[in-house]
Amino acid sequence: MSAAFVEPIIELKDVSRVYDLGRVRVPALQEVNLQVAKGEFLAIVGPSGSGKSTMMNILGCLDRPTTGRYVLDGQPVEELDDDGLALIRSRSIGFVFQSYNLLPRTSALENVATPLLYQGVGRKERMARAAKALERLGLGDRMDHEPSELSGGQQQRVGIARALVTEPALILADEPTGNLDSHSGAEVLQLFRDLHAIGRTIVLITHDTDVAAAADRAVHLRDGQLQEAVPA
Amino acid sequence: MKPGDLFRLALSRLGTGKVRTALTMLGIIIGVASVVALVSVAQGATKGISDRLQALGTNLVTVSPGFTRTGATRGSSGSATTLTLDDATALAALDGIQAIAPQLTTNKLVIAGTQNETARIIGTTPGYLEVFAYQMWTGNFLNQASVDHNLRVAVIGSTTADNLGLTETAVGSTIYIGGLPFELVGITQPKGGSANADDQVMIPLSTTHELFVGANSVSSIGISATSQDAITAVSAEITTTLEQRHGITTGVDDFSIITQAQLLGTVSSVSDVLTFLLAGIASISLFVGGIGIMNIMLVSVRERTREIGIRKAIGARGRDIMAQFLVEALVLSLAGGAIGIGVGVVASFVIGAYAGWGFLFNPLTVVISVVFSLLVGVVFGVWPASQAARLDPVVALRYE
Repeated sequence: MSAAFVEPIIELKDVSRVYDLGRVRVPALQEVNLQVAKGEFLAIVGPSGSGKSTMMNILGCLDRPTTGRYVLDGQPVEELDDDGLALIRSRSIGFVFQSYNLLPRTSALENVATPLLYQGVGRKERMARAAKALERLGLGDRMDHEPSELSGGQQQRVGIARALVTEPALILADEPTGNLDSHSGAEVLQLFRDLHAIGRTIVLITHDTDVAAAADRAVHLRDGQLQEAVPA
Repeated sequence: MKPGDLFRLALSRLGTGKVRTALTMLGIIIGVASVVALVSVAQGATKGISDRLQALGTNLVTVSPGFTRTGATRGSSGSATTLTLDDATALAALDGIQAIAPQLTTNKLVIAGTQNETARIIGTTPGYLEVFAYQMWTGNFLNQASVDHNLRVAVIGSTTADNLGLTETAVGSTIYIGGLPFELVGITQPKGGSANADDQVMIPLSTTHELFVGANSVSSIGISATSQDAITAVSAEITTTLEQRHGITTGVDDFSIITQAQLLGTVSSVSDVLTFLLAGIASISLFVGGIGIMNIMLVSVRERTREIGIRKAIGARGRDIMAQFLVEALVLSLAGGAIGIGVGVVASFVIGAYAGWGFLFNPLTVVISVVFSLLVGVVFGVWPASQAARLDPVVALRYE
């Protein structure tokens, strides 16, 4: 595996996540092993109910594995407390969500600047970096607009700008085109390709094999288990 | 997060729901305003009562002689003639004394024209006017020269003037006291307070000694202390001085001292109760206002569950979320408190003007109100804020 020669950003070793619902224990992920190299563009493909969301939560450090080992950007995640998880999310992960998840009644600029707020960056620098990120995504003239004043495609680009502004080790996209028309969706995927081209590490989680085709490599998730597959 | 960032975040959030923010603050506004206004009312009412007490005499200390003893029979208090004009002169030199007025009282028939009445004649000095808080209606009070030279001049009270049919035109005319002619130099304004405070004739003490009472004694010495607080110290000084002058070592004094302190003490304890009572009632509305804030914050946390999830996903720690919500509650309560102080001050002003005790403003009330609003914000903001901080980001992000 070529990834073995490059420094891995993500390393999952026998990761399981079991939801304890009182009487029943539901295994959402079972002994998953995965490595993602720096600069890689990986798609995780699976139908609904396959454990995609759980995968996204674990990879995004929103949740901890029940068992197994997860190292992100050199940092073992499974032993971190809530503040530790927040810190690693702040420093190492940029999220792109299906429903954009922008802060309502908040300008595009403030939205993009918010991750820097939690890094303790001063206001002036926050605004400057957020403006730069928005300009890079062609939204220089939309900075003062609130999410409700932007189209879906524009909102998702604001979301991507927010994910990029902290220069994270990993960009984690969860069905980023799910709420977009095919044209805007294609634009967003092209944006990911561009980001990949300049060396960003991207993990894209989707149910759609066509979307997954934008990535260099795809793995399939089925019933909580991972199957490596070469994209068509 | 820096305080400035938190503050900006809270302001922008509160700015997006202006009506709700205003209504939430209203509870605190009413609470703080009623604390400020009611404390002011309590203090105003107290001042009104104190002012009336002061009308009896300004920080009055009265020294009376003791009693005589004839065999086994104890005479009435004040029956002794041990208190002298020299005592009064000695007391006048003490610290903390604003004015002093020795008096010698007797009763004589007073005749003016065809009218007559048997009036209380008070032989005294110019200090009498200030000590007993009289004011002149017309003419002048006794001056030092009249006392120094045993002049036959008289000042009469307003009731006496009425009884004798004397008006301001009578100043300069001659009246007869105990059959002797006196020049009427002034009439005092009605004072009220006690039944006969305005039915009396004041003449120089020296004249009284010369014409009516052939001794050097006085019936009492009225003393005005420089302030209410000085009354106790002045009483002690008087006791020491008189004991020395009278050669008393046994501890049984041949004089007694009565002060306004006891009376004023009662008034101030009543006013304390009044203040606490009113502040207590007002605090209840402040408390209710606090519950209003908590209610809104809890609703807000629920409504903004998704926002909290987003913030956590992009790097906010629990304490960042906690701080955000807490600062929002604090800004609400402090802004409400500030407006409440303004409303309360205006209300105090209006009530004070209406009730006639003027505008009483106690800065301490403001400090207490601010501290109270802050406390309300913290106490009622902490729980909603910790609810927000504890939200699981996975659950919060999925919340619709």
